[in-house]
Amino acid sequence: MGDAIVGVVANPLSGRDIRRLVTQASVFPTAEKANMIQRMLTALDAVGVHRVLLSTDLGGISASVFRAIGRRRDQDGRWPEVEFLDGQPIRQTAQDTVDAVRRMVTAGARVIVCLGGDGTARVTASAVGDVPMLALSTGTNNTFPVVREATIAGLAAGLVATGMVPADGAATRAKLLEARVGDRVETALVDVAVSTERHVGARAVWDPAKLTELFCAFAEPDAIGLSSILGQVSPVTRHESHGVTARITAEAALQVLAPIAPGLIVPVGVRAIEPMRPGSVHPIDARAGAIVVDGERELTFEPGEQPTVRLRADGPWCVDVPAVLAASARLGLLRRARQWPWSDQDLQAPTG
Amino acid sequence: MTDTAERRALTREQLLSVYRTMRSIREFEERVHAEFATGEIPGFVHLYAGEEASAVGVCSNLDDRDTIASTHRGHGHCIAKGVDVSEMMAEIYGRRTGSCHGKGGSMHIADLSKGMLGANGIVGGGPPLICGTALAAKIKGTGGVSVAFFGDGASNQGTTLESMNLASVWNLPAIFIAENNGYAEATSSTWSVASDNIADRAAGFGMPGVIVDGFDFFAVHETASEAVSRAREGGGPTLIEMKFTRYFGHFEGDQQTYRAGEVEHARAELDCLRRFAARVIETGELARSDLDAVDAEVATMIDKAVDEAKAAPLPTEADLLTDVYSHY
Repeated sequence: MGDAIVGVVANPLSGRDIRRLVTQASVFPTAEKANMIQRMLTALDAVGVHRVLLSTDLGGISASVFRAIGRRRDQDGRWPEVEFLDGQPIRQTAQDTVDAVRRMVTAGARVIVCLGGDGTARVTASAVGDVPMLALSTGTNNTFPVVREATIAGLAAGLVATGMVPADGAATRAKLLEARVGDRVETALVDVAVSTERHVGARAVWDPAKLTELFCAFAEPDAIGLSSILGQVSPVTRHESHGVTARITAEAALQVLAPIAPGLIVPVGVRAIEPMRPGSVHPIDARAGAIVVDGERELTFEPGEQPTVRLRADGPWCVDVPAVLAASARLGLLRRARQWPWSDQDLQAPTG
Repeated sequence: MTDTAERRALTREQLLSVYRTMRSIREFEERVHAEFATGEIPGFVHLYAGEEASAVGVCSNLDDRDTIASTHRGHGHCIAKGVDVSEMMAEIYGRRTGSCHGKGGSMHIADLSKGMLGANGIVGGGPPLICGTALAAKIKGTGGVSVAFFGDGASNQGTTLESMNLASVWNLPAIFIAENNGYAEATSSTWSVASDNIADRAAGFGMPGVIVDGFDFFAVHETASEAVSRAREGGGPTLIEMKFTRYFGHFEGDQQTYRAGEVEHARAELDCLRRFAARVIETGELARSDLDAVDAEVATMIDKAVDEAKAAPLPTEADLLTDVYSHY
């Protein structure tokens, strides 16, 4: 089987954008991100992962974990060997995440955990290839990453990485939206929107009056972010093959009260709701503006360019934490024999 | 919500003005860099080149009611708040025609008529000042907003932390702009700032803390626009952290043995003026010829400022006892 290696990539800038100012969005301090990684290390070691690859950053997360490793005493229990992926320039941009994830894939990581918001998960997904990812929320908008205790996520990641829980059924394949402007391509895991704002600026989107179109890979009724607009009128699950698209206009007869950002619930006019079939290409109508991927302006386009959006079925494989731990329970993977004189019968689960 | 997007949309004249101000700062600093090497400029200078989008992105949201406090690296803030460039240059040359009659120099340029409370040689000296002006604006009901620019070094100073606390408990129309250029003199902020992100500290004072790409004018302008309107409307203080790099050393003469490659990368890939120009040309909002005309106009203005400064008289002995006290 080779080494059961787990990669962990943490975005030092997640949860810091303008939404703290305009919508009272949550703050994830650097110290908590570092603590989450440490709790995960404990869990990974407990299920037999002995090697972890950790991204490095200038935001203090990897430095904090490094110091914690140095301070760790014998009685604190074991952690896997942590290899810090340093030695290449840190740009303090999304490219750092891409570079780290690529190195993890090349080094043979069996699972890659990412800590961030929808933006970090999106960037990680673009580089993981077929390696299963587990997106933990430390960001602003958390439709794709899960809000879950890092210890449990660590157990799940470890059980998959060691092969104790077979990958079959433990990971599911996500859908993907591909936005294209000429040669420029961005992918989204949840939604793509079109904004008439001309500049990327502070990236986040919180003004529905600027939106003209919305495409969702999935739209859950309990989602936060732009996909919530369609989640309340035309829900689509993560596991259905199709997506959904609609026009956004203040004049529409159908108005949805949607939580389009943490702390921000606004009426949004929706019309022309249609399913998106995998592979079909949807041209964007607006003449000029910005393409918003998973809630952040990323690509601008000018008159004469014809952006398109396409739903793809070949998104990243994502570790299903509840399914992994349910399989572990079924297989008795976390049961251990107590020392003699206790008998093996104590270990049998009650039947019936 | 629509109002916010409309407010941020910049007209052609505003875009030209923003570009002119950023270019003026760059040209001013590049010229001071060259002139300082000749030995003609007395004292120390700390240059702001590379950080223009911060000063201009913030100050383009301010008006005559508003005040700013600056740092030892203050030329950019002064120009962005409208201080006369010729008077600034004369001040740096120590001439009687300078903003402070040649007695302050680079680190003490001030112009209260423009709401510029002063560059400041004291690290962390600015934040307490804006608590005063913000309190005055609040009591008088002027709608004025006060902004303190400070660096990553000052973010560790008690004065800065106390000011953020006071601004929060008094709900002052104050904005704290942490210009994190990576180094306090030669000390890396990744080593000296315990919270790593300065913006994280806002949570401890009950105010929003935001990180912005300090090389991106549009990102800065948009974020500052929200913070300024929030402060004007009684919403209280905000901390905004700019991440970027200064193009020159801490001071002129700094050998910069503590860093390598960052400046070249920033100048080539991240530069605020280049990015601004590329963007507005791409959208068709401005033409290359518009920007070239501004460049030429600014170059002439800076030439004139230097020539005038060099020709201006020095203070005399008789000036020693004037301007010693100030009353506001």
